[in-house]
Amino acid sequence: MKVLEINNYTKDYGAGKKAADNVTLSVESGDIFGFIGHNGAGKSTTIRAVVGVLEFEEGEILVNGHSVKTEPIECKKDIAYIPDNPDLYEHLTGIQYLNFIADVFGIDAVEREKLIKEYADEFEITSALGDMISSYSHGMKQKVALISAFIHKPKLLVLDEPFVGLDPKASIVLKKMMKKLCEEGGAVFFSTHVLDVAQKLCNKIAIIKEGKIITTGNMDELLGDKSLEDVFMEVVENEK
Amino acid sequence: MKSRSLILLKNLLRSTSGINVLRYEKDSKKKNRVIGGYAGVFVLYAMLMAYCILTVIGYKQIGIAEASVVMCGVLISVTTFIFTFLKTNGYLFAFKDYDMLMALPFKPSEVAGTKFLYMYFKNLPWVISISLSMMIGYMITVKATFYVFMMWIILSLLLPVIPMIIASAIGALIAAAGSKFRHKQLIQIILTFAVIFLAFASRFIIESIFKENKVADVLTQMSATTGLISKYVVTVSWFNKAISETDILAALLLAVSSVLLFILVFSIVGRSYRKINSSLMAGTSKKNFKMTSQKKMSLINTIAYKEFKRFTGSTLYITNMGTGEVLTLIATIALLFVDPDVIIEGLTNGAPLTKAMLMPSIPFIIYFLVGMMPTTAASVSLEGKNWWIIKSLPINMKDVILGKVAFNMYLSLPFMVIATIVMSIRFRVGMISTILFLILGIALCGFSSLLGMVMNLAHPSFEWENEIDVIKKGASVGLYMLINMTLTCILVVAVVPLAGLIGSVNISCIMILFFALLDFICYKLIVNKKL
Repeated sequence: MKVLEINNYTKDYGAGKKAADNVTLSVESGDIFGFIGHNGAGKSTTIRAVVGVLEFEEGEILVNGHSVKTEPIECKKDIAYIPDNPDLYEHLTGIQYLNFIADVFGIDAVEREKLIKEYADEFEITSALGDMISSYSHGMKQKVALISAFIHKPKLLVLDEPFVGLDPKASIVLKKMMKKLCEEGGAVFFSTHVLDVAQKLCNKIAIIKEGKIITTGNMDELLGDKSLEDVFMEVVENEK
Repeated sequence: MKSRSLILLKNLLRSTSGINVLRYEKDSKKKNRVIGGYAGVFVLYAMLMAYCILTVIGYKQIGIAEASVVMCGVLISVTTFIFTFLKTNGYLFAFKDYDMLMALPFKPSEVAGTKFLYMYFKNLPWVISISLSMMIGYMITVKATFYVFMMWIILSLLLPVIPMIIASAIGALIAAAGSKFRHKQLIQIILTFAVIFLAFASRFIIESIFKENKVADVLTQMSATTGLISKYVVTVSWFNKAISETDILAALLLAVSSVLLFILVFSIVGRSYRKINSSLMAGTSKKNFKMTSQKKMSLINTIAYKEFKRFTGSTLYITNMGTGEVLTLIATIALLFVDPDVIIEGLTNGAPLTKAMLMPSIPFIIYFLVGMMPTTAASVSLEGKNWWIIKSLPINMKDVILGKVAFNMYLSLPFMVIATIVMSIRFRVGMISTILFLILGIALCGFSSLLGMVMNLAHPSFEWENEIDVIKKGASVGLYMLINMTLTCILVVAVVPLAGLIGSVNISCIMILFFALLDFICYKLIVNKKL
């Protein structure tokens, strides 16, 4: 079952050059899909359109069959999104922020308490939840953002560079949680620069360069007996 | 080599003026927002200039045209003092780029001094608007010489420096005092409100001095007021002497003392600048949270609660947007102890107005303070870099907007209701009129909240460097003030004769219907707006 379908998505900021050019890909239930590319390749522009933050004119993006353009609320109910640098509400405490997200998703009091405790304990951040987010380090903000993403049990987890700033244990916990979500029928679509992580974690990848998808498919089929690093360099060089 | 301060100043101005957006931005929406912002501010400048010119013409008609010089000095000094004081926290202290700047090879005094100069340049358009318009009015009415023209221009550029330094020094003291406490923000908010209250009360203090001297005549009182200001506010006195009496020494005193005071204050501030900022920006973490049972809230209330935390979490936000409510509270408490007739006489300079005549204006008098500046005029823009959170959540934008409107209603309504009840009791208003005033008060608070939101949705700004850019200088805030102040002033004055013609109860009913209609129009504009 297709959780995410991007068909001919194009984003032009008006500078003549397209930030995303005819991007087409699909993510199915159970997939951990890695979105790989250089800085400025168009990863964040695509991700921001998928989660409904960025308006776009050309192409279509569907989440569980719902159009991001015409049914944004339905799509967002199924999505959890964490940007590369999650600017959270600095004037709230960690627990207030998590309650805010839980209220928006209508999670009842008992359920949210259980889930927040579970995830906060896993990320070892429970004791800091009563402190202001402004006092948090980048990694702690990332952890709170991740808890807020998991507490409403999303069907599609969209992450932009999720491993930046996380400590080694938190990275392991996140990978475990991503796999668990996929086992339960969800899917993960994330961008990364870390090719080793992508190779170990993803079953599908897409490589984007200058706004265009230059290769996409199953990890095993794309790699053969090569490493992702070799494949990446090869396809990127061939596109010059 | 260029001075480092000059390089910093140039880049601060360049990054916040919107010039770069106009020159390099490809997105025409962003360009239009900057142009719209400038257009809104220019309308405010034009209104200020019109007010200044009319003031000078008014002075000419009552035979005190010479007082225009002192009044120009007072207006420039007071405006720049208040503007600077409200901006000190955020521009001079606890600003976003503090870490970046302090990591560069700048002396703390250079950073503090440059930030002050930056505030000076940001205040300059207001100073020039007041100065030029009053000078034009003065030159027409008094037929002044070229010397006056030159002196006026040069000295009015120097005139804001000392009031700004004093405002910055008070801001520095408040910041330093606040930084010593665990609840530093609360201390800063209380001290800031205390200074704002004193600034507003100063007018009544001056007037009370004349009351003791039994000065009743308006003309004599105004001449005496300007005389008193000239006597005690030394910078205004120098400005006045240099222009009215061609006193070059006074001009030199103003110039030299401005420069010397700047050097003195910023070398002192520079010494403890790092310490104050470090204390202000240090986040305290207790790390003792224990998971307890959580509560579920409705969507509108959860957005309103988030707004409440945003409001109380920022000294700048609370002191700029909460001033009207605090002044209402102070006025309400004062009314419990002071005879309303005394207040009317004080506010109207002894004009022949009675309690009964002013009675229909009660809701508008209260609204003048409560509706001064709603949080909604900046709350969307204040989302700034957090906008992704709202945008990526499965909620209708309408609910987000209504949550923000609800917060302003929760904030303003209690003040409106209490003040209306107290005023109604003190003015001996009947039961039916009091109930109508309360209904009108609710409609007015709704109008303020909704109009602020209409303006903010029309001119949102998410890419700001400093909160003050949207709280104090945002196009939406300026436009709200322009529309709301004009409408309120007209209504405060208009309802008095109208009530005489058709009766107080009838005029209250008409006003309720009028504002209910305005509320409905604003609501429709909001829910149909796409963000």
